[in-house]
Amino acid sequence: MRLDEITRSVDTLPAMGGAALRVLALIEDAQASAARIEKALREDPGVTANLLRLANSAYFGIPSRIGSLRQAVSLLGLRRVTQMVVAACAAAVLQRPVEGYDLPAGELWRHSLAVSVAAEGLVRELGIGAGEEIFTAALLHDVGKIVLGRFVSEEMARIEAALGRGLTFEEAETAALGVDHAAVGADLLARWALPADIVYAVRWHHDPDRAPASHPMLDVVHVANVLCRMIGIGLGREGLQTEPSETVTRRLGVGTGHLERVASRTLQWANELAQALAA
Amino acid sequence: MNLTVMVGDMKTGAAGDTIVTHALGSCLGLVVYDPVLKIGGLLHAMLPLSSINPEKAQANPAMFVDTGVPLLFRALYEQGALKSRLQVKAAGCGAPMGRNEVFKIGERNYTVLKKLLWKNNILLAAEDVGGSQSRTLHFDLATGEVVVASNGTRKPL
Repeated sequence: MRLDEITRSVDTLPAMGGAALRVLALIEDAQASAARIEKALREDPGVTANLLRLANSAYFGIPSRIGSLRQAVSLLGLRRVTQMVVAACAAAVLQRPVEGYDLPAGELWRHSLAVSVAAEGLVRELGIGAGEEIFTAALLHDVGKIVLGRFVSEEMARIEAALGRGLTFEEAETAALGVDHAAVGADLLARWALPADIVYAVRWHHDPDRAPASHPMLDVVHVANVLCRMIGIGLGREGLQTEPSETVTRRLGVGTGHLERVASRTLQWANELAQALAA
Repeated sequence: MNLTVMVGDMKTGAAGDTIVTHALGSCLGLVVYDPVLKIGGLLHAMLPLSSINPEKAQANPAMFVDTGVPLLFRALYEQGALKSRLQVKAAGCGAPMGRNEVFKIGERNYTVLKKLLWKNNILLAAEDVGGSQSRTLHFDLATGEVVVASNGTRKPL
């Protein structure tokens, strides 16, 4: 088992950047204001620039040009802007190529954005509530792959053997490495002090049936992730070797028609958002 | 020329060209080739029926099997291809593991394709569909050869 080595690797991974941590601390703060976000980002002009590029993406539906953080907050609201700060900070990490999973540069980022878009699409399509931070939970669901990729690559022979026995890819990760990318990602996000429901959704996104309790945010991320891989966004080495939970689809009341409608809208938005921060 | 077909996209070419499409999951990859003119095309369609989003279908017919397949055949007929000569091959239409019926988009893509071909008296020359692995298609327009690559293995279709 490579568990100790993987844990050490999580320890040494640099945090997302001070700006993200300062703004994340504001997510659950009722007193958060545009002024406080501005202060948190003052020393990070790059993050603000990326945030504005995202805010001007058609996905967020503001027809006029947003030129400042204050304007973004007044047009999109504090919560949306906070989500964009997290996205702007996470981009640098998620845009890298991921070995082991065979994801070229930019593909994990595009997949992450697609799952965010699909998750919000499902929430609207089904008319359910899934927590206001569903965008961020979906965006960060695969962050553990950044740590685990190297180990997956090194242990591919054992993973392939486990896949040959009919295991899902994440079960194969656990069989070969003692841990899967969902657990590693949740560990990482807990250290970065993300809100508990986001960490929970990331932790169980491949295995909602084993989660201690059901949570709509977890259910939606679980379904959105499988859907985005089905339409070819972030497939990589894993392919569709994952098993969607029937308990979750029943609980959500989601049908094939819902999935197809959401899929038809997801690809273009994901590509546009990915291009907003493309180098 | 090396052409790449994205998801919800269709391209045609002639001898000297290769057409590639990556990451077929539940999507349909359809290859059509006229061996006499050495022209052909590749469609990467995401969803079975355009009725799910007519607005998208109008802007991008290649996204759906029921609008994308006719689009590909028409494009080749316009370049002089003859129906009697066409070689048609299909790949993709995969599904996640398990028995969850909600995620059967790949199977639906395949069913709509088969209905369309059947109505038009066209047979599939070869297919590599279903399963849970990601597929990449390489189509060589000089020979009509199609190769399916999946997790490091390559085999002719």
